[in-house]
Amino acid sequence: MQIDHRELNEVRSAQGKDKEQAPGLSIGVRQLIKRFGERQVLHGLDLDIEAGEFIAIVGRSLLRLLAGLDTVSSGGILLDGQPADLLKDDVRMMFQDARLLPWRTVIQNIAIGLDGSKREIRERALEVLGQVGLADRADEWPSRLSGGQRQRVALARALIHRPRLLLLDEPLGALDALTRIEMQRLIESIWKQHRFTALLVTHDVSEAVALGDRIVLVEDGRITLDEPVALARPREHGEAQFAQRESRVLKRLMTVEAINNRNQIRGRISEIVVDSVLSEVRILTPSGLVTSTVLTRSLSEQPLEIGAEVLATFKSNEVVLAT
Amino acid sequence: MSQKSTILNRLRGALIPWLLPISILAAWEIAARVGWLSSRILPEPFAVLKAGVALAATGELWQHVKVSSLRALTGFAIGGGLGLLLGLLTGSFRKVEIALDTTLQMIRNIPPLALIPLVILWFGIDETAKLFLISLGVFFSVYINTFHGIRSVDPALIEMGRSYGLKGWSLYREVILPGALSSILVGVRYALGFMWVILIVAETISAQAGIGYMTMNAREFLQTDVVLLGILLYAVLGKLADVAARLLERHWLKWNNSYSTA
Repeated sequence: MQIDHRELNEVRSAQGKDKEQAPGLSIGVRQLIKRFGERQVLHGLDLDIEAGEFIAIVGRSLLRLLAGLDTVSSGGILLDGQPADLLKDDVRMMFQDARLLPWRTVIQNIAIGLDGSKREIRERALEVLGQVGLADRADEWPSRLSGGQRQRVALARALIHRPRLLLLDEPLGALDALTRIEMQRLIESIWKQHRFTALLVTHDVSEAVALGDRIVLVEDGRITLDEPVALARPREHGEAQFAQRESRVLKRLMTVEAINNRNQIRGRISEIVVDSVLSEVRILTPSGLVTSTVLTRSLSEQPLEIGAEVLATFKSNEVVLAT
Repeated sequence: MSQKSTILNRLRGALIPWLLPISILAAWEIAARVGWLSSRILPEPFAVLKAGVALAATGELWQHVKVSSLRALTGFAIGGGLGLLLGLLTGSFRKVEIALDTTLQMIRNIPPLALIPLVILWFGIDETAKLFLISLGVFFSVYINTFHGIRSVDPALIEMGRSYGLKGWSLYREVILPGALSSILVGVRYALGFMWVILIVAETISAQAGIGYMTMNAREFLQTDVVLLGILLYAVLGKLADVAARLLERHWLKWNNSYSTA
């Protein structure tokens, strides 16, 4: 392929002047196959995403390929109809953990990879810090921030590049339930303002329903669910329609996960401890008692009964090992 | 009232580490005065002090300290610099590691002091021999810790840096070097300690100036007070080097909670 990258970049930087208004990128995934050695994780995936759409996706492999962190085994990804690696600078990623450099202050972390005069960069960094509500923490070390604040900084670090495609790799997974909802609102309002295309990996169905225009489920390397969520924004976790949608996706997810029996344990509910915000559901399983923390609100929307048989599932990265 | 008590507290905090050395000195002085200790074997601290003042007054003391310090630091700069450079290279490039690491690990297992006979044959008993021994002594602790530091930089941070457009030197400056720095400084601190050990041995072989020369000379004339003064000087210089290394750590690793001054 004989494309002069420099020339292409010049054209793009000339267009980049009104980049703020530039809409998101459209994504076309064509017959995508990804193998890690013998193991095939994607089996000829096809997916089209419109510019400016917010997609919630269950399954991580596609995101790392879009970010260019892993290489495609065969098939292709088109961004705005062009090969993905030509538009790498328009794609930014938010990781599961914030991945801030501990030896750089908050504002230096945000300025990473930026060129230009120091004053200009600082101004822009302060502006995005303001958007995520942390303008007063600019000169602190990341180690002084809470988990939620670190993810805010990571979001600001992505935003300062004015991405046209923002990839969110389960960035809220490690946060507590309340911070999580707060962050969902923040991400939604920033997405509305900037109109980039957003791809969120999540394993929390309620989060997928709260944020996604579409929910895409990738299981065993294939798309097993591609469901539009036609609910008005902002979506309140308490609404009836929201709960209905959530339970439908959840049921679908459960059946898929039941076939793929990893990290799950079946049991009967032995006790429900209700508190104002978070409640605990205790499940008696053949191997002992398992406790699940759920939002009281979602418990009132989808009531559970003592004695009911349930399937508890958990993420492999949340299982701590001790000897 | 409360301000006064914090000042007192801080004073107490500063004094406690010195309590034990001062009482040992006092006990020693008393033992020497009473006659339990022969001044031929161990002169009283006061005599050592007097010898120090006398030598300092003639300027002879400063000359020796200067020569020794310069010798130690030159050796440290050569050995540490090479260790840093090779550690960075083998840590960063797999090919260089394959080519060099096995050889370096073999040489590492030879104690530098075992090379003294060979070094004398090669370089004579000149300055070069001493610098060679010191450089060799400090090289490996800097080399190994630099290599290890580069290798143990969090790959997740490197991945983040790459996906945010850092590559080549900028990735090195922003992510890899700062990530390896705490490990490199551990190597520097260890090397500074070892530097004095090698210096002492190197200076007792043969020298025309330096603290080692001063003590060996004093031994010939049974001036135990000067011998002891030399030993004390090594202790003070060693402590100074350690303090300097710690200040560096505090400055460069201030982002790390365990080094912050608070």
